[in-house]
Amino acid sequence: MSESSVPLPFRVIAALGLVVLLLPVVIVVLSGLNAGEYLTFPPQGLSLRWVRAFLTSPTFMPAYGFSFTLAFGATLISTVLGTMASVFLTRSTSRWTGTLRGIFMLPIVLPGLVLGLALYVFYATTDLGLSRSLTGLLIGHVLVTCPFVIATVSAALVGFDLSLEEAARSLGATALGAFLRITLPIIAPAISAGSIFAFIISFGQFDVNLFLSIPNLQPLPLAMYASLRYAFEPTAAAAGIFAIALVALSTIATSRLVSFKRMFGA
Amino acid sequence: MRDGASVEPGEDVAMTAIGTPGLAPSMPLRLAAPGPRLWWLVLPMIVLFVAFFLVPVASLFAISLDHPAAGVVRLHGDFDTANFVRIFTREIYTSSILRSISIAAVVSVACLVLGYPLAFVIAKTEHAGRNTLLMILVLASMQLDTVIRLYGLMVLMGDNGLINSTLRSWGVIREPLPLMYNAFGVVVGLVQVTLPFMVLSLIGIIQAVHPSYEEAARSLGATRWAAFRHVALPLSMPGILAGTLLVFSLSVSSYVVPALMGGWKVQVLPIHVFQQISEMGKWQFGAAIATVLFVISAATVALYRFAAMRGAGGRA
Repeated sequence: MSESSVPLPFRVIAALGLVVLLLPVVIVVLSGLNAGEYLTFPPQGLSLRWVRAFLTSPTFMPAYGFSFTLAFGATLISTVLGTMASVFLTRSTSRWTGTLRGIFMLPIVLPGLVLGLALYVFYATTDLGLSRSLTGLLIGHVLVTCPFVIATVSAALVGFDLSLEEAARSLGATALGAFLRITLPIIAPAISAGSIFAFIISFGQFDVNLFLSIPNLQPLPLAMYASLRYAFEPTAAAAGIFAIALVALSTIATSRLVSFKRMFGA
Repeated sequence: MRDGASVEPGEDVAMTAIGTPGLAPSMPLRLAAPGPRLWWLVLPMIVLFVAFFLVPVASLFAISLDHPAAGVVRLHGDFDTANFVRIFTREIYTSSILRSISIAAVVSVACLVLGYPLAFVIAKTEHAGRNTLLMILVLASMQLDTVIRLYGLMVLMGDNGLINSTLRSWGVIREPLPLMYNAFGVVVGLVQVTLPFMVLSLIGIIQAVHPSYEEAARSLGATRWAAFRHVALPLSMPGILAGTLLVFSLSVSSYVVPALMGGWKVQVLPIHVFQQISEMGKWQFGAAIATVLFVISAATVALYRFAAMRGAGGRA
């Protein structure tokens, strides 16, 4: 069956589905580029005033920067730890690998609100000094991003031909040398894809942030949430444009690194 | 992996990393031998998860069984079931459980109706560039910050939003349509947020159904609709089940969507968790509601895994 034979009602509903997915995004972009205070239909005209307002905003610009830094830190840690763990999970013969893998995937299914609350209570009742700290928030972000790195990297390692590494070893390479020079370059696209996923998950994280927020340092989703409860600031929409650009670019980058067909297809 | 292969010092990745000398070129081929030292690779992750995931989540559940004490966070070990009795006997909480579950159920069905045709079109799009473009659109909309997408929806659906103000200026309505700050708004918000997960759950399984099955049905005289209804649809059932349960689990545990689209007027479980803790300092009771939320979500995920496993080992 080719695409031309997709029945018409299906095409109509599919188009409606795409509208549901994309219309809010389009509206954010229009609100951020709108000339007036409120978005009207038809729009009043384009202007960069809100983009300029965002770039000089004392709330949204630092929030964007903080989210970016936080996501960068969380990604760095979870990429290194996640790749190491993936090597173990795909190469160890231990009977614990299944259990460990299951545990490492749990943050995907545990409601973020529950994880944030659990960490908040844990930090507040232990004397680790993590309460309302950057480290405490970072740990939460590493926990929710690790599963994405592990899933992507171990998928690539499962398909990896170990005899390549063995050939290098037989020619005198050390285990680490063989891994770094042979395996790593081959699985590098998957590691990059996993870390891009991790970055975006951390950048857009809301539920975990809610209970772990730090005084005077607000990540972008919380800053937007706070402003949305009172008014629709076009400055927030302008901040949204920059976040949308980031996600769009990284998804396009991921699509060049790994095959979506292999990840989600049959 | 070779079990029982002897492990020389410095033979595995982690040890080599701290600078022990490598293999001599003449070493026999006992390569990538894992041995216990492979565990060093996963140790940091295990420590992280035990200390900052398993212990905190387990203590949260323990606190939910602690006797209520306003303003006290610390576990005081006075265990009883008072919190849970209160949840299941007070009308405000039982109705919230029902509301959470019914909203999530409606969202799941709506996502299936919207998502199946979209997944079907993507699965049948053979043009590589167009296929990638559609996948990028779905994936990007999944990964975009929820609050940003809700901003767009709120500008669209608010009392003075695009829909209402346009309809008013055209003279179609006088009073704004109640599109937001009610259960309807929450459902629309959740559908927007969870639809990509439904689509991604379905694409693989729709692709796996070989077109020849449908062609066979057609050649035997079935109408296109009948071939779909009796052949393609039943074969994609495992994906439908998995996607529906995934969407249900995400919807039931979302805080930010009911908070913004419901304007705190639609009382679902995550809203209660936040209110009890942030506004009333009732830690034990808040932890108990969080536990109920977790149990509902975990039960759905358990069903999801069961459905996914049957799907993986099933027909087609």
